[in-house]
Amino acid sequence: MQNDKEIFDMLKDMYPQHPSKKFVALTENTLRQQARSMNKKRIITKFSVMTSVFLVCSFIFSWLILSNEDSKVSIEINGYGTASSNAIDEKEPVVYIYHSHNTESFIPELQTEKSNQMFSHTKNVTLVGKELSKALKKLQIKAIHDETDIAGILKRKGLPFSDSYKVSRENLQQALAEHNSIRMIFDIHRDSLKRQDSTIEIKGENYARIQFTVSKTSVNYEVNKKFATQLHKQLEELYPGLSRGVEEKGVTPENTYNQELHDNSILLNIGSIENTLEETYRTTDIFAQVVKNYLEGRN
Amino acid sequence: MVDSNNLESRIVEIYNLYYLDVYRFLVCFSGNQNDAEDLTQEVFIRVLKSLTNFNGRYNLKTWIFSIAKHVAVDHYRKKRFVSLFKDVFFNQLSSNEKKPDEVFEVTELKRCIHEAIAKLKPNYRAVMILRGISECSIKETSDILQCSEAKVKVDYHRALKELKRKLNIDIEGVLTNAK
Repeated sequence: MQNDKEIFDMLKDMYPQHPSKKFVALTENTLRQQARSMNKKRIITKFSVMTSVFLVCSFIFSWLILSNEDSKVSIEINGYGTASSNAIDEKEPVVYIYHSHNTESFIPELQTEKSNQMFSHTKNVTLVGKELSKALKKLQIKAIHDETDIAGILKRKGLPFSDSYKVSRENLQQALAEHNSIRMIFDIHRDSLKRQDSTIEIKGENYARIQFTVSKTSVNYEVNKKFATQLHKQLEELYPGLSRGVEEKGVTPENTYNQELHDNSILLNIGSIENTLEETYRTTDIFAQVVKNYLEGRN
Repeated sequence: MVDSNNLESRIVEIYNLYYLDVYRFLVCFSGNQNDAEDLTQEVFIRVLKSLTNFNGRYNLKTWIFSIAKHVAVDHYRKKRFVSLFKDVFFNQLSSNEKKPDEVFEVTELKRCIHEAIAKLKPNYRAVMILRGISECSIKETSDILQCSEAKVKVDYHRALKELKRKLNIDIEGVLTNAK
């Protein structure tokens, strides 16, 4: 007998549809006053919390100073009141080394005449990474060296060579999730230049030259580039000509080389197909020292 | 989300945006202007107190309505105003320019609807008012009442059915009395 709309229409005009103007104004006023008093309370609370934090901090600070007067420990207090030191924590890894193209190899090591034999499952660029992590260890810098056989995984899964970075990325992401101590990431490759371009003689010994590669299509392009440039400059100071500089790639084909995962993530080309492993090892030893300098803020 | 230093301007802004919606919901719920006004103020004081903790998980309107519903139901529990509002209600009815017997009929009809609604249990009442008068969507209503959308549909349907049943009984009574 009644349809819904009629009922609701009747309901609507059954009651005064507007509260009194006086009420509206009064309530607004009440709310204003409440809000003000709440703000006051909040400011007082904030102030008292900050004061107590300050007092506690200064107490701890003075206590540390007093108790450390005899020992030679000095703690730097930075702007946030937390202790920080440039000492590298030995327990936690700070460098991550991996190889997206792990089978890239060196012709002199393979005793083969064929120059298309540039890949090997045993004697390859992974050994260069291993040498770098050893050299870092000697300098008390803990590194994770990921020796995963990326090429083998690609072959097993039937994936194209271009998916190398996708596969190598998985371990990297896991490592980053597990260790927030990681401060730099190197994907180590070798180049395919002629020997005269990839080798330099320093004090009568041959060294494999090193090149830094930064992806232009990574969101971290700017910071990655800054990081690479700093390392390059340091090498130039120590051994002019050993570094071939910073190269920007990754536009065609588009590739971020996983550099968007970390601010200090770069790709290294250490030596080339015509270098020997020994020549690359000489370079990694020097590079380890540069890494140490960087970590200690001497750049 | 909310800048606490700006609490005053925030609450005033929110109040001016929503006081009418809240009042209309509460006036239907409580059945008289005085209660509705008191409750409206109560709602916005609660809104102000929890504004800094409002996490934006619901939209603002939904959140405010759910507070209004709580205030209304609390109030209803405190005092069952079924009997109370009858007198108030009659004093409030403005007589309009109609013939006396028609006025009587309309007044009677309104009284019937009013009583029928007052007899509905609070939850049904809330669903009915939200869907029918505040014109909230099913999704919004389910967020406000914190139940499933299916429950909103079912409750709304049942509430209407019950209301009509009560109305039909009452209205027929009214009409026969009037003649």
